Amino acid sequence: MATVGTKPARSEDLDDPAYLRIRDVIYQISGIYQPEEKLYLLASRCSRRMSALHVASPTEYLEHLTVRGNREAELRLLLNEITIGETYMFRSPQQLDALRNVVLPQILQAKTALGFKRLHIWSAGCSTGEEPYTLAMFLLEEKQRLLAGCSFDVLATDLNDNSLSAARAGIYGEYSLRSTTEPLRRKYFKPAGEKQQQANEELKSIIRFDRVNLNDDSRMTFLKGMDVIFCCNVLIYFDLASKRKVMQHFYANLLPGGYLFLGHAESLYQVDDRFHLVHFPGAIGYWKPPVGYAPGDEP
Amino acid sequence: MTTIEAIRPKIKSLEGMPTVPAIVQPLSSLLRQPAEHVDLEKVVELVSYDSTIAAQCLRMANSPLFGRRNTETVRSAVIALGIKRIEAILLGCCLNRIVPADCWSIDPNTFWRHSLGCALVSSRLAKMIGYPDPEKAYLSGLLHDLGILVNTLACTEDFRECVEKARQEHIALHCCERERLGFTHCESGKILGEHWKFSPDVIAAIEFHHDATRADSASDLVSLVYLSDLLCRVRDLGHGYYEAMGVDFAGENAWLTLVEHYPTLARMDLARLTMDVDGAMDEIVAVVNAVFGMQSS
Repeated sequence: MATVGTKPARSEDLDDPAYLRIRDVIYQISGIYQPEEKLYLLASRCSRRMSALHVASPTEYLEHLTVRGNREAELRLLLNEITIGETYMFRSPQQLDALRNVVLPQILQAKTALGFKRLHIWSAGCSTGEEPYTLAMFLLEEKQRLLAGCSFDVLATDLNDNSLSAARAGIYGEYSLRSTTEPLRRKYFKPAGEKQQQANEELKSIIRFDRVNLNDDSRMTFLKGMDVIFCCNVLIYFDLASKRKVMQHFYANLLPGGYLFLGHAESLYQVDDRFHLVHFPGAIGYWKPPVGYAPGDEP
Repeated sequence: MTTIEAIRPKIKSLEGMPTVPAIVQPLSSLLRQPAEHVDLEKVVELVSYDSTIAAQCLRMANSPLFGRRNTETVRSAVIALGIKRIEAILLGCCLNRIVPADCWSIDPNTFWRHSLGCALVSSRLAKMIGYPDPEKAYLSGLLHDLGILVNTLACTEDFRECVEKARQEHIALHCCERERLGFTHCESGKILGEHWKFSPDVIAAIEFHHDATRADSASDLVSLVYLSDLLCRVRDLGHGYYEAMGVDFAGENAWLTLVEHYPTLARMDLARLTMDVDGAMDEIVAVVNAVFGMQSS
């Protein structure tokens, strides 16, 4: 969740219990959670939608999200506000730290023992490509160290053709690249017009882009053999039944010992209880335990 | 190598340190009476004598972490926080004063953030699962790393090397202590806890907070503190460095022990608790800076 945000004009509004109820509605439907101490962020997001709707109070806005005829559309618009500004490269360094320090060493150790040396990572719902390019840079940077002797690829999928076209082109402005260090920009990007950079061929060669609807059982069934799946702020737009179905697919798509990462404010609570929730410093992953794993064993 | 026996006399000498406030002894014995016999006015009077403790009580009583009550007097702060919480604050103040600024190898603010974070998570978790004494969980969480203060004081340079190795290798501090010192802050904390006559269950939480399976008694309290310590360490409330770890809480033996006695834990929304810990971070930092933040390096 973006940590920037303007506080609502009147701080006493935050004491309005309607904001807690809006928080709970959002959590129940989308899985995105906002702790009480950060309610001002939610209030700020709501205030934009309330202005657009000419709604005066959070209580009235809560009605728009729960009982009015347009509630599903309004919830989607609010979720867009909540997740706005989340798409830029190296958005979640803690997830990459977890990959580098815990997840990949664990997976590679198990794979090497079985004689496998190829790593498959999937960015599901990749939007305009910032996430898969981040993963590709991460993997290339680890090629001589952690991934020495291994090969790897990134599958990047999205439902939206326009997003996929932009992702394939790989042209980004300063906003997308704001957390990408200068050495990485020089190594993996080339100038593409004023204030824009384009991913170079080495970077693109790691990624395979494809159009996939996560609700499409026939496609999902065949995307097997994944080691790690990233699916950030995508499932928040799905209803519970669809979420459960997608999670079943992800579980089947992952190899035993594989991990799923969601957006950092998302939760799978009551969506799927087969994944084990694993905490890394600053990040949460969902783990598919290997066959024979029992609680109390070392992961 | 420093051995646990070599530092035992040093630990015993801590009791007489002049930095321990004069009100500690009378206040401490007052607070250890059964709650219904504690003379509230006497507690208020003693707390008011020590400006640091009085300020800390007011700051905590006014923090959203403890309910934000617009408390302006020491008396209302004592009532708002409760007698048992005053004991924890008192101990926190004493401990904060026993380590000279130049001895610390962990930033003192970082240490207190971890301790206060662990206290808050322990009591919150205790309340969520229905553990009968959340205040004891708070106190145990606050004191669980007492041995770090002991090691900082009693074997300053050796302990500094442990911290440095842990930081460089991204590993848990107690693993480095065991290798370098031959004992950990769990054991040295236990000795000071015994010397200061803490209750046996709090001592067990101090001794076994890195290996809950070894606790013969107070296993629920030990498990609460064990899990809270882990949760703080994975949410930026650790000892100030990156620890390479992945924790499957529901697979931890401490979790399984608690689930046996408190089945609601099995249904708890852990991701939500985690995000609540993140949400409380700013306030924890603010409280620690205001209350303990006098000797930050």
